[in-house]
Amino acid sequence: MTGRLTIFSILFGVFYLAAFYYDLALFRYYPEAGQFHFLRNDNLGVVILWYGWIATSALASAAIAFAVPRKMADRLWPGWAWIIPTAVVVGMLIYERRWFVS
Amino acid sequence: MIVVLLIVHGLLAVALLGAITHQALSVLTVARATNGRWNFVDRFRGVDATAYATPIVVLFAVTAIGGALLYPQYRIDVRPALEDTQNSAANGVFEIKEHLVAIGLGLLPAYWLYWRRLHGPETAATRRYLTWLLAFFVWWSFIVGHVLNDIRGLLPS
Repeated sequence: MTGRLTIFSILFGVFYLAAFYYDLALFRYYPEAGQFHFLRNDNLGVVILWYGWIATSALASAAIAFAVPRKMADRLWPGWAWIIPTAVVVGMLIYERRWFVS
Repeated sequence: MIVVLLIVHGLLAVALLGAITHQALSVLTVARATNGRWNFVDRFRGVDATAYATPIVVLFAVTAIGGALLYPQYRIDVRPALEDTQNSAANGVFEIKEHLVAIGLGLLPAYWLYWRRLHGPETAATRRYLTWLLAFFVWWSFIVGHVLNDIRGLLPS
């Protein structure tokens, strides 16, 4: 189980970054209408994608973590558990520089 | 109701900030003072770091859920106001907070696992860096949350 949970944590950030960058929200929430939708609906006001990005990355990383054979997962080097998420954070911060440059 | 939720969210964040800071400093490897006297920092660091793992996981998850419940109000009221005043930096730091909290939620299983299981010194570095990553996420989120909550008072009118 150690390896699979580690794989989940490692992949979660990677899938989250992909979901956010490529707009792969599993669902969308329209707070003004108080409605969830799977598809884009521009008539319902502002949209929240964040919940959908989290759902996408949780499902995708869980699917892969449980698909990996346990023995292979348990052989994973523990260092990847912090190195890959750190790289994801650095990548995200580089992308989000767009808010601070004119 | 939203004000009550905001206050509870803030109080949980304070508890989380205290817990993660204790743990993050406790895994620093700094030599003890040779005179054997403990100063404030030594005492702050001198905690059983393992005991903090489960409370940190619970506090992080519950505080994130509280933030998720508050988020629609932010999206409807606060963000458009920031966009109207062309305060893109404030929007940017909040976007980063969103991402850090989400990545932090994903990290919790591995973080909990490496703290709860009886791992040897070969995983000490993993525990330390996972803790520091989460501590960075929590500090960023705490400061940004408070600044944005008070932004109308902080910005010149």
